[in-house]
Amino acid sequence: MGSDRRRAGDAGRAADIRVVIIGGGGTGAAILHDLTLRGFACTMVERGELTSGTTGRHHGQLHSGARYAVGDEEIARECMDEVRILGRIAPESIEMNYGLFLALSENDVTYGDTFQEACSAAGIPNRRLSIEEALRHEPAINPQAHFAVLVPDGTLDAYRLPLQFFATAVANGADVRSFTEVLSVESSGVAATGVTVIDYRTRRKERVPADVVINAAGPWGGQVAGRAGIDLPITPAPGTMVAVKGRLCNMVVSHLHPPGDGDIVVPQRRLSVVGTTQWETDDPDRIRTPEGDIRSLIRRGGELVPTLADAEFHAAWTAARPLAGRSSAGGRALSRDLEVYAHAADGLDNFYSVIGGKATVLRAMGQAVSDILCSDLDLNLPCTTATTPLLSHRHYFRRAS
Amino acid sequence: MTAMIRIIRGGGEQSEFTVETGEFTTLLDALEEIRSEQDGGLLYRHSCHHGSCGTCGVIANGKRVLSCVTRVSKLEQPVEVRPLTPYPVIGDLAIDPAPLYSEFPDDASILRPSEAQPDATPPAEIPGFTRFENCIECGLCESVCPVLRAGGAAPGRPFKGPAALAAYGREIEKHPERTDELLPEIDSPDGVWGCDRALECSRVCPLEVYPAKQIAVLQQKIRARKAPV
Repeated sequence: MGSDRRRAGDAGRAADIRVVIIGGGGTGAAILHDLTLRGFACTMVERGELTSGTTGRHHGQLHSGARYAVGDEEIARECMDEVRILGRIAPESIEMNYGLFLALSENDVTYGDTFQEACSAAGIPNRRLSIEEALRHEPAINPQAHFAVLVPDGTLDAYRLPLQFFATAVANGADVRSFTEVLSVESSGVAATGVTVIDYRTRRKERVPADVVINAAGPWGGQVAGRAGIDLPITPAPGTMVAVKGRLCNMVVSHLHPPGDGDIVVPQRRLSVVGTTQWETDDPDRIRTPEGDIRSLIRRGGELVPTLADAEFHAAWTAARPLAGRSSAGGRALSRDLEVYAHAADGLDNFYSVIGGKATVLRAMGQAVSDILCSDLDLNLPCTTATTPLLSHRHYFRRAS
Repeated sequence: MTAMIRIIRGGGEQSEFTVETGEFTTLLDALEEIRSEQDGGLLYRHSCHHGSCGTCGVIANGKRVLSCVTRVSKLEQPVEVRPLTPYPVIGDLAIDPAPLYSEFPDDASILRPSEAQPDATPPAEIPGFTRFENCIECGLCESVCPVLRAGGAAPGRPFKGPAALAAYGREIEKHPERTDELLPEIDSPDGVWGCDRALECSRVCPLEVYPAKQIAVLQQKIRARKAPV
């Protein structure tokens, strides 16, 4: 009874706490949804259309975690947990067709045992298939492969899945303001007190008061933190993806080796997407797709799904990943995990930055950030997003009509 | 190479920009370049950059296109870009797609069985292979529909529109058990009987949804149910 009473009191306190979330990508969507469910008064601002930064350009792989199992059991386990949760709360945004990791070389064969042991240790179901068995499930794969490992990978709709989070948050009372950019983070003494924004629809500037400000601007997070006078360790790391016309396979096909360029083919709707490359940049607004990447990705993808090599080109694009930390060369050594910075240490209370993470675990990222905030505010408000079905993405736009 | 892009904003104001382009540069890439280098406040919608999300539709040189898969090198210059009609304009090239979504059937699934690799056997862990529906809800079909446009800027007749009606068609095809619930919702002058059979929707659709055909099939289903036995 006592804890129930405290929770009710804390929910009442949360309703008076105004949270501004900066960034309308997957991370911002999940934080907005989580905090709104816990009762906070949330506003999200995004300078463009929702998911127009990194989130929407994702190749769409729903990660079972197998790709990360060797080297990062914790992330791998989290991915698998989230695959199961998303299957319950957002099944409409997922093509759940499983995935195959192909052993193409002798080195891959050796790596296979390590890979499967790591998957099992992380709780990821995995099954080794002879190439004949694998071809029965997925005739498009390279028949020269030595064997395949079946894992619960899938494809997510990189636009509609986050939109489901936005739709549900708005239905629960959140305020979402797209085409609105933060110009500065306001403070009084050592506390963040709001943000000044420009609403590009009206070209008017406005101050949005806040008790808490969360910077979830992905690779633009460094720029946003800079508007609060804070130096944030972040490395925007662009990567190229290529789509060819035609759904060449139903299952996600990956190369059974440590992560590298061109090691995955993700079928999606009526396309096949090859990913990815990676380099580093200072400014995520000034990235161009290197034409050399297009040819190399199609060549590498063709080693996994041979018909790719002759498929008709559809699109090539680049997205900047937000990697936590700073690096002078080779972004892949940086953590792919989530980092949450409480900027009290930088002299600004109630201002947080969230960097990193990945599309599959967006809900867990929202939970992690919201748990930290509740702990810092001494509020006992449990997360309920794992058991709350999300509204259809269409509800987001239907609200206005 | 360089390209001249003339943007005719929702409010009517025109601006011209010169951008560097390559073989693969898309119209969306050019808009991104303009925003990052020349007009930081330029408004346009985009997300996936590969024709999957359906947000980036514009009118380029009079044609409705997805800007993310339209190469600048294939367009006559100057490329004249306008926001997609008949939607409300948020600003510049960005429209509000709310009218598109207002008529979709409630909870129509966006998943369907996959027809790729028809001889493949799914692994035992899943009941069958699925994929997302063809329709990406881009609104190009509604933009070109003469019923909705009335041939100009004036609002057309009340009409649920080709995108929503195609979604009804797909939902009934996948879930015949919903027929009794869904068919009456579109058996009306603003439903399937509002279509003038211009077929423009099927021609413009970048994903081969063929809304006009879907509407014709729905009309046949309604007629068949009403025919005396």
